[in-house]
Amino acid sequence: MRNTVLELKDISYKYENNLVLKKLNLKINSGEKIALIGKSGSGKTTLISLLNGTIKQTEGEVKFFKKDFKELNNIQKRKIATIWQDLRLIDDLSAEQNVNCGLLGKKSFYFAFNNLFNMCSFKKAHQYMQLCKLHHSIFSKKVNKLSGGEKQRVAIARSLIQESEILLADEPFNNLDPKLTITIKKLLLKDKDKRDIKKTALISLHRLEQLEGFDKVIGIKNGEIIFNEERSNLKKFHLDNIYESI
Amino acid sequence: MNQFNKLKLNAASISFLPILVCIPLSYQLIINLHSGGVDLFQEFILSAFHPKINYETSIIVINKLIETIYISLSSWLISIIFGIIFGILSSNIFYEIINIPIFFKATIKFFLTIIRSIHEIVLGILLMQIYGLNFSIGIIAICIPYIAVNAKVFSEQLDNIDQKRFKSIKQINGPGFSTLITLIWHPIINTFKNFGIYRIECSIRSTVILGIFGIGGIGTSIILSFQTLNFSELWTYLWALIFLIIFSREIIKKIRFKNNPKTLSIFLIGIVFSIILFCFYYTFSFILNNNFDKSYLINYFLKSDSHLLNFNFLKLILDTIILSLFSTGIAISFPPVLILILNNNFGLILIRSLAFLLRLIPTPVLILSLLTFNSPSISLAAFTLGIHNAGITSKLLLTNLKSMDKRNYIAMKSLGFSRNASWLLGLFPDQAKSYLAYCAYRSDIIIRETAIVGVIGGVGLGWQLQESLSSFAGKEVALILVAYSSIAIVGELINGKIKNSLT
Repeated sequence: MRNTVLELKDISYKYENNLVLKKLNLKINSGEKIALIGKSGSGKTTLISLLNGTIKQTEGEVKFFKKDFKELNNIQKRKIATIWQDLRLIDDLSAEQNVNCGLLGKKSFYFAFNNLFNMCSFKKAHQYMQLCKLHHSIFSKKVNKLSGGEKQRVAIARSLIQESEILLADEPFNNLDPKLTITIKKLLLKDKDKRDIKKTALISLHRLEQLEGFDKVIGIKNGEIIFNEERSNLKKFHLDNIYESI
Repeated sequence: MNQFNKLKLNAASISFLPILVCIPLSYQLIINLHSGGVDLFQEFILSAFHPKINYETSIIVINKLIETIYISLSSWLISIIFGIIFGILSSNIFYEIINIPIFFKATIKFFLTIIRSIHEIVLGILLMQIYGLNFSIGIIAICIPYIAVNAKVFSEQLDNIDQKRFKSIKQINGPGFSTLITLIWHPIINTFKNFGIYRIECSIRSTVILGIFGIGGIGTSIILSFQTLNFSELWTYLWALIFLIIFSREIIKKIRFKNNPKTLSIFLIGIVFSIILFCFYYTFSFILNNNFDKSYLINYFLKSDSHLLNFNFLKLILDTIILSLFSTGIAISFPPVLILILNNNFGLILIRSLAFLLRLIPTPVLILSLLTFNSPSISLAAFTLGIHNAGITSKLLLTNLKSMDKRNYIAMKSLGFSRNASWLLGLFPDQAKSYLAYCAYRSDIIIRETAIVGVIGGVGLGWQLQESLSSFAGKEVALILVAYSSIAIVGELINGKIKNSLT
């Protein structure tokens, strides 16, 4: 019996008088790998922002580990990592410094200070960057000098270094070629090696061929969950319903 | 009528409109002309080409330059460091990360607005009355408003940090200060490089003007030479000052482009703590050494004789507002008008040289030289303050125009448009909005600078402040300070709205 790590109860979100999310109900269990699909503007990014606490729902409840988001302490909040669609890297910092920012939650102020002046160890950051197939020649380059694909992988390495229990990712395979997409997807969906902790992942996708490896697929349309199915049960009509007008 | 209704003003046309202030200004300046000091003015101009150079003057110049550098560098360093600290404390991002009641931000912002509203000259004159002539007075007088100005700029830059990036780092949920330093460090360094270093030049100018009012440095020598009509010596000091500013600017350029952020960051950290410690030591020793007498201050402001009813206070306030508006009008419109008229290589060199001189000659010297052939009036004060600030706005406009994409301008010229028309329609409109936004910021400074021309030119609250200080009328001084402060705060609020609508 898996624990419920995340639960949405009657969630609605209004932005400038538009109801972006409508009465969503969802339960995500520990270790589940869920793909979130839907057309552009269907509410995927809003849902992810709501789940990581960046925006607050207009109505309903978001519960992590059976607690309301407001009641979570910093240690509990650190169990959630996010890969943003627009990456949100700090342009003035180098690639390795940006990746090290993922460690801010686990380290002291001294580390943050040293990270700014390149005076801390980048060993762990380099490990994750190598896992993301980043070449060592770009480690110390400022992120604004990197290509789109390199920036994407820096953002992914920053979320991986957090070693979180829950990963929320908004179209993380943008800018990646098919081979890299497979490698990175394996990394994102892999459970932690040393401890017996099953990593939970909710990843929004644009391309249906990327669904392989996920346990469940959630379809979202006009701010509503249209289906929530095991991947093996996914039928053509599910997808037709989501992408009908394309 | 229908056509008139369709008339819409854009940023470019608004930049030219204030030239209309020249109609009333020219009228008053022409009727106030007198030939009494034309010879003196001529001598003043001609002396620029044969400054006094001998051993004695050279020694004075070196000593006075050292004093000026000492005051300006000390005040610059202190005001930058405390400006950064207060900038952080008054920024929104600080309170979004660190759990401190927002009430502190409002209090700090209010406090900074008040001290920013009083010009360093007013503070300098006031402090001189209380403590007498002292180098420290110069440093304190410059530091107080400069800290507030710097804090405002740093806090605005910190509030411009991309909210999305901020949220992504905040979402990692690290300790507050780790998140804060990661997010704000580079914006602070960039603001320091783009704005903070430029403040050295401002600090030198303020030191010179304070010197004119007796605090020391080369400004004091300038005014003494002027008063004794020793124009050759005066120009020796002015050329030395010009040399100092050019020299400091060249050093600034080197720091700007050759120092990498890491060296700069470590340099800053190294000096920050020592300066803060030094400031506390300095403040305590200043208070102890000067035998601070609280009863004197209380008597000065509350129990002094007052002649409040002897002067028309509302008229003085109105004069100060008119003075600010006229000066701002000149500062906004002169640069685009001049560039439009003299839009050729020789013309632009002429404008650059004129702007450079107008920026460097201290406004008190400028107004005193103009007073040799014109009677004191609002128009003369506004003209002086306006052309001094036009020197600054034209530098900005010319620099920005130079770095602009000129494809529209070239296309128009190739279509057979004249050089002037191509500039007016193809180049300036793209720059007009940001130019006006800067002018809105500049007009904040002009309001405060009315104190300087007011004192010398005999108009507005500045003049009355000088009078009240001379007669030790503390209540009047306090009232004038409140009025000055109120005008500056209201002006800042209006300019803030204008700036926001433009950017």
